[in-house]
Amino acid sequence: MKATGAVSFWQATLAVLWKDLAAEWRSRELLSAMLVFALLVIFIFNFALELQTQLRAGLSAGILWVTLIFAGTLGLNRSLAVEKDRGCLDGLLLAPVDRAAIYAGKALANWVFMLIVAAIMLPLFGIFYNASLVLPGVVLVVLLGAEGYVAVGTLLASMAVQARTRDILLPILLFPVVIPVVVAAVKATGGYLQALPLEEIRPWLNLLGVYDVIFTSVAFMVFDSILEE
Amino acid sequence: MEQPANTFTYFIAGYAVIFGAMLIYLVSLVVRWHHLRQDEALLTQLEAEKANPQARDQAFSP
Amino acid sequence: MSTTPRALVVLDVIAGLALAVAAGMVFFYAPLERVMGAVQKVFYFHVAAGWVGMLGFGLAAVAGIIYLMRRRSRWDLLGVAAIEIGLVFTLINVVTGMIWARPVWNTWWTWDPRLTTATIMELVYIAYLMLRQGIEDPERRARFGAVYAIVGFLSVPLTFFSIRIFRTIHPVVLGSGDPTATGAFSMTPRMTQTLMVSLVAFSLLFVALLWHRLRLGELGERVEQLRLKLQS
Repeated sequence: MKATGAVSFWQATLAVLWKDLAAEWRSRELLSAMLVFALLVIFIFNFALELQTQLRAGLSAGILWVTLIFAGTLGLNRSLAVEKDRGCLDGLLLAPVDRAAIYAGKALANWVFMLIVAAIMLPLFGIFYNASLVLPGVVLVVLLGAEGYVAVGTLLASMAVQARTRDILLPILLFPVVIPVVVAAVKATGGYLQALPLEEIRPWLNLLGVYDVIFTSVAFMVFDSILEE
Repeated sequence: MEQPANTFTYFIAGYAVIFGAMLIYLVSLVVRWHHLRQDEALLTQLEAEKANPQARDQAFSP
Repeated sequence: MSTTPRALVVLDVIAGLALAVAAGMVFFYAPLERVMGAVQKVFYFHVAAGWVGMLGFGLAAVAGIIYLMRRRSRWDLLGVAAIEIGLVFTLINVVTGMIWARPVWNTWWTWDPRLTTATIMELVYIAYLMLRQGIEDPERRARFGAVYAIVGFLSVPLTFFSIRIFRTIHPVVLGSGDPTATGAFSMTPRMTQTLMVSLVAFSLLFVALLWHRLRLGELGERVEQLRLKLQS
């Protein structure tokens, strides 16, 4: 990357995203950990709740999102801890790019990872519980819900990794704040799985969209002040 | 006419919690304040000794 | 520096008196509610504590925004002070809510939007304190605290809103029906007066406590600076 003046926002964002994806493609550490973890969570749920193969739609929506969120926390923590430990964060900061572009790139990368996990989880979940979860509606909800989760998650993870107690801090910071996104996502997913009429699902979709916009824009506004040393 | 339910113990419990919590917070403020004042006094004393090495105790000198 | 400012002493006295008057009105002036009996009187300080909690968290979010713009440590101190007091009063709010719910709704806990949101709010700001504890550098601690205070406060209405429609679309019938209906009562003028006096008293108490906590924060900052100076 040439350091002649400021790189455009999107170029910088794509560069950060590309760097993350390429690193992940080489090591596959993060994705494999997230996937195995997600699978384990599903198995634990099966025993803990004594689930039958025919699952109530409301319950599968809940289990699906809890699994995604736990796996997502793993990914978020890792993705920013790696930057911190290898000193990449300082390198990124020295680069003449907009801080917001770093945030956007990291958040996009985390989003992609979560979506990959979801893309594998959804059909697997369907096989385990003998239901078809890969519906266009559910895919839409996963896209929106993961976006909101990752928007706040990336912001908070970049704070958590700079704290002494970073391994335990992220879920504690993230979960109470992200509850509205989870509630809306679970309800919307449940609605699609139960094949409810669209009028009953639409309020949740709208809410999810509104949350995504609010959380993403606030994250953009305040991210500058997290990365400045 | 129906008598109001006898919920007097809950009422007392409620106000015990309210005043109890406030009292605990006040005590915590006072305790923290005193600790910090002690620290401050100690630190200013250490600083004065540092600025004036002659006054320092023999045991602390190398 | 060490003596308490005169205005603060005056404020303490006024807040104390106001609290005494409010308590007196609750105990002796406010009428006994016809159905629920004495426990309904928890209502006055329950609402006032909830109000002070919201005030504290809102103030902390504003202080966070100003801190991020001005970078003066006093705004950070104000933020922590407001959140700490908000936590104490939200806890009072939640616990008294539970005590009220027990005889009236026949359960310690209902997943009603307000109770749930207040508790989640409490968790958000406990997380705030944990975040601060994990960071040594005061400047960074202040920045992160400000960011989290803003994000946290933003999520509160969203949480409330989500849980609210969650309940309206799928009403959860608990015990004897809709909880908001069971505990409802119409306010007599005496009740309204008592509530108003309680709100004023708690607001005064909030300002007085905030001031004290702010002074504690300033003292803490001085001690920390002294310590750093000695170490170097």
